[in-house]
Order: sequence, then C-alpha cells, then structure tokens
Amino acid sequence: MSLPDRRRGVALSLVLLAAVLGGCSSGGASPSVAPPSASPSASAAAASPSPTEAPAFPVTLTDDEGTAVDVAAEPEKIVSLTPATTEILFALGAGDRVVATDDGSDYPEEAVALPDVATFSSVDVEKVVALEPDLVLAGGLGFTPADAISRLRDLDVPVVVVYAPSVEGVLKDIELIGTATGTTDTATTLTTQMRSDMDAISDAVATQSPKPRTFYDVGYDDTTGAIFAPAADSFLAEMVTMAGGDVITTGDPNTYELPLETLIEKDPQLIVLGTNPFYSPTPDAVAARRGWDALTAVRDDAIRPVRDIEITRPGPRLPIGLRTLAGAIWPDVTLPAAS
Amino acid sequence: MAAGVLSHGREAGGLAAWVRARPLVVGIVAAVILLITLILGVGLGSVRISPAETIGVILSRLIGIDIGVTWSPATEAIVWDLRLPRVLTAMLIGCGLAVAGVTFQGLLRNPLADPYVLGTASGAAVGAAIAVLLPVQLVLIEFGLLHGLAFVGALGAAWLVFRLGGTGGKGGLTRLLLTGYAVGSVLAAILTMAMYVSGVELRQIFSFLLGGLGGSSWVRLVVAAPLIIGSSVLIAMRGRSLDGMLLGDAAARHLGIDVSRERGILLALASMATAAAVAISGLIGFVGLVVPHVVRLLVGPAAHRVLPISAIAGAALLSAADLGARLVGDVPVGVVMALLGAPFFLFLLHRSRSGYEL
Repeated sequence: MSLPDRRRGVALSLVLLAAVLGGCSSGGASPSVAPPSASPSASAAAASPSPTEAPAFPVTLTDDEGTAVDVAAEPEKIVSLTPATTEILFALGAGDRVVATDDGSDYPEEAVALPDVATFSSVDVEKVVALEPDLVLAGGLGFTPADAISRLRDLDVPVVVVYAPSVEGVLKDIELIGTATGTTDTATTLTTQMRSDMDAISDAVATQSPKPRTFYDVGYDDTTGAIFAPAADSFLAEMVTMAGGDVITTGDPNTYELPLETLIEKDPQLIVLGTNPFYSPTPDAVAARRGWDALTAVRDDAIRPVRDIEITRPGPRLPIGLRTLAGAIWPDVTLPAAS
Repeated sequence: MAAGVLSHGREAGGLAAWVRARPLVVGIVAAVILLITLILGVGLGSVRISPAETIGVILSRLIGIDIGVTWSPATEAIVWDLRLPRVLTAMLIGCGLAVAGVTFQGLLRNPLADPYVLGTASGAAVGAAIAVLLPVQLVLIEFGLLHGLAFVGALGAAWLVFRLGGTGGKGGLTRLLLTGYAVGSVLAAILTMAMYVSGVELRQIFSFLLGGLGGSSWVRLVVAAPLIIGSSVLIAMRGRSLDGMLLGDAAARHLGIDVSRERGILLALASMATAAAVAISGLIGFVGLVVPHVVRLLVGPAAHRVLPISAIAGAALLSAADLGARLVGDVPVGVVMALLGAPFFLFLLHRSRSGYEL
C-alpha cells in the first residue's frame, strides 16, 4: 500500500477521520458493534467510584468493539499502535511504560524516539510479541488490521481496541485507557479538565450569530478534483459545530467525498483548511481550484488554514484543537485561555 | 498448440537441453531451494533470533528434545506460532496455486490462464466484500465470515461458469473461457460497487485484493492443507488426462480419455485448491500464472513432471517472496514475487531458442 505522499496524506486524514467516526467494524476475529454508551464499562472492581476501594487489577474491560479484554496486573510494558493512544498514555503519566508505538506517533517528543512496530497500514506482529507487552492499544475501524489483532490475541496478548465516534467517546476512551493502565484517577482529572475547557470554548462562541456556513477541507485530489469533507454525524462535524460553525458535511455517515455541485449548492461562507505535513495547500491554491470561484468563501477570501492534528486526532489535545478551530471560525471573539 | 510436445525432441544444444533431459535434477534443485527457504523463513524475520534458539524451539515443540538452549516465551511464540505456520502456509498456497495454474493452462490450452481465470478471483473477492460489509460477526475456530464467504464465492463462481459455459463440444473451450470472462465481469462490477459504498471498510477489502500471509496460523493451515494437498494429489493422478487434452480434444478421445468428464473433474479439483488458497490468503497473483511456464521451459510439458515440480517451485517461490516481504516491511507479497520472478521468467523466455508454446 505505497501511495504517493500526498495521496497517502489524504488517506491518512481519512483514516484519522475514520478512527473517530461511528459505525460498525467488521471482519477478522473481533466481535463488533458496541453501542457507544457501552464503551468503557469496566469490571466491578475498577468501576467502583471510590479510589480507596479494592485493587484495580485484575480487571476485565469491554473495548470499543465490545470485546472483553482481561488485564491481569497493572501493565508495565505497553505497546501503542495509534498516535492518539500514544498521546493518551503519555497524558495519563503512563508514558514511561510505553515500550513501542507506530510510526505516526509524533507527540509528545519522548514518543518519537520509541521503537516503531507498526506503520500506517501494517503491524509487525513479530516485533510486538518480542517486546512481551502486557497491554496493546489498537485502533478500531480497520486502523489496526484485524488480522494483527487476532494474531496477538491468539498469543494471549491483551489488545484493547479503541475508536471514538464522538468527542464524548474520546473522553470515555481516555477513561477506558486509564482503567487499563491503572491510572483511573489521573484519567478522570484529565477528562474533567478537557470537558470544562471545551465547554468554555464552545460557550464563548455559542452566543455568536449568525453561524457561518463552514466547510472543513479534509483533502483534495488535484487530479480528479475529488473533495473530501466531514461525514455526517462525524467527530469532525461535531468539532466544527462546537466551534461555532454551521457545518457542511457529506450528508451521509459513510461518505467522505463531496461532489463539487453539492459544495457550490451549500455555498460555504468560510473554508477551514485542515493542514498537516501530507496536505498543506495554500489558500491561493484552494481559491484556484476549478469551479471553486463560485463559492462565497473564495470570493470573500475567507479561507483559513489550521493545523489539523489537534483537531482530528482523538486524544488529550482536543481542547487545543477546538480552540484553534473556534479561533479560525470566530477570529474576533476572545476565547478563554487554555489551561 | 501442441508444438511443445512435438518439439521436445529437437531441442537446441547447451544447458537448456541438458536440463530438459534431466527433470530429476530440476526437481532436486527445486526441493533444495524449498528446504533453504524453509530454514531462512523460520530463521529470519524482523526480530533477530539466533539459529540455536530457533532450532531449540522447533525440536522441543516438535519431538520434545531439549538441546540445552534457553529461550524466552516470546521467542517461542515468534518461532512456533508466527513464523513456522506462516512459512508453511506460504508453501501450501504457493503449491496449490501453481498446481491449479498448470491445470487451468492445460485444460484451457491457454498460456494466459491462471487459477483465477474462471471467475474464482472475482467470486472470492465479492464474497469477502460482502463479509466485510455485513454487520455480522461470526467466528468459528479462527475462521471469520470473510474466509467462509471468500471460499464459497470462489467455488460458486467456478460452478456458475462451468454450468453456463459447459465443457464439451466444438468450441467448448472458447465458450468456457468467455463465460468465465463474462461472469467475472459481472462479479467485478459488483465488487466495485461494494467497494464504492464500503466507506471505511474499503481498507479491509483492499487488503484482501492484495493478498498476504499475515493471518497465517496453525488452525488455518491445518484446515486448508487437506483441501489443497488433496486436490493437488488428485490432479497429479490425472496427469495423463491433462497430457492428452493438451493435444486437443479429438486426439485425447483417441487416447481413450473421456474428455468432458475429465475436464469437469480437473476443473473442480483446481477450483477447490484455488478457493481454499484464496480463502486464507486473499488474491495472491503471479505464482499460479508464471511458475507453470517456468517449469515447462525447464522440463518440457509432460504433466507428470510439470505438476510435482511446479508444486515445489510454487511453494519455494511464494515462501521466498513472503520472506522478502516480511524483511522489507510493509510490502504486499505479490509485489515482491513479481519483482523477483518476472525478470527470471523473461530471461528464460529469451533463452529458450526453440520457441515455446503451450
């Protein structure tokens, strides 16, 4: 699966997106379709509200695919197969227990130096097994190949699969990972803080009106003119809404492409350009796209690039992402300082 | 079309003729290469494990001998549960696809025939795509819906082509091939549609289309092995029919071969081997098309030589390519195989001065 860099970038954005969308996963050996509410239900011992209660391990978790995963003791060697789970582990103070990550894990700095045992499209099961991890965190919806997950589980390696369909789902995933790593209290503190930071930002823009019709540009194929946009009800669409935009989606939860005609019909007043190392067109290049001169946002010069990593990666930096997004949509509104 | 058989005697001199006269040598060389790929395949990987540990693990698991080397549980899992079943699965699949390739090429008297020619590939892919799209999870002893529907899809497509295209009569072969093409086209269209609506599941369908051996395990190996080895042996036992049919239907009938019946049986066996291979490893190309040609170039067209040597050569090629793919990382095995195999094939084609026809 060697795509040229830019296409790979688009694909990467899509998969990042996919990782945070709802829907069902299938194939492979892992059962699926957990109702979102069922995500991080821990066993009695761990779900107990009082921190002074019985020991947190052993614990049986239900991961986002509905698989029951037994974690016998507090994990000491953790392998993280997605950038988001890596960030979560470090934010929970479990970073020193992470022994390997995937090659996309670029934050925080300490994670970059760790050995890579997975790429965008594959997992080196042999390397993972050689590290003798007592916990592996994988991405759902095909982010981590189902075959790799089932091979690891066959070899009695506990694999927790996470994918969050919504912002609330990300917070629940953080708490799930907290339970899996014995950092429940830190996780609760973190999610409480994130929730209040994000509420403060969306409260600050909530009173603004009218909400601009906002198109979040996920990717564009110069050759075919294919336009990639947030799917309906997706994590990204939710972020744009929280940031005070009237979000333009593909209109379908499983569609990531938006026909140019539809984009023109929806006529965004604002284009937020999600940029990353693989996809970073200039606003001028966006304005020059064939047919895009019909858009109000292009005529008004309202094309605003943002760093999309914090916005699209379902991890602890979401409040920063939301702040960036709200700042791009409402540049004149004073947003609460990040804590 | 039978020029290969007829030209057997007037081979030009030199190495090619020497080799052709000694098929046993080719067989032995192929078997030695197979053994080497087995050793390298188990000994090498992305994790470095010493030969002593590897041998220690295998001996202790296989026959319970302790050779006084110690190793960690992780090493044992890598050698015994990851590498060994994967190498053996690669060999099994390579063998099955090569034998199926020989059979399809011989039966259809078409040098471009491969195990997937009669709609098997599209059938399997449609089955896999449906399995991916259905919001149902079903796992039976390590086999998911994907494996089951891919197997059923491959066999179903072959059966449909066989029923619609018939096997006997004048122009029967052309009709069968074109039926295969037509059914394959319909299935390919369904597949494209399935991929188009698949959203995030696209990736799983795509990786099935590329094929790969990452999902190999002992259980999958043990289930697929009887189907593939059984079909291959039964095909080899009908080598005489295959030879006869290479001469043309009329000549085969004069040799006392019930052409229509034999063709049906051979197609069924080759389709069975292909379906079992595809179900556990996805659509791996090249090996089934090219290995039979390489072997024929080396030992001539007689089925009793081509079939066993193709089986060994296919096994060696696929396991070597999979080793390459594993060592390089993130590369589909079909890519490695074509990069390794196609230049060698071109070289052989170029060298064969007598010309080559199926």
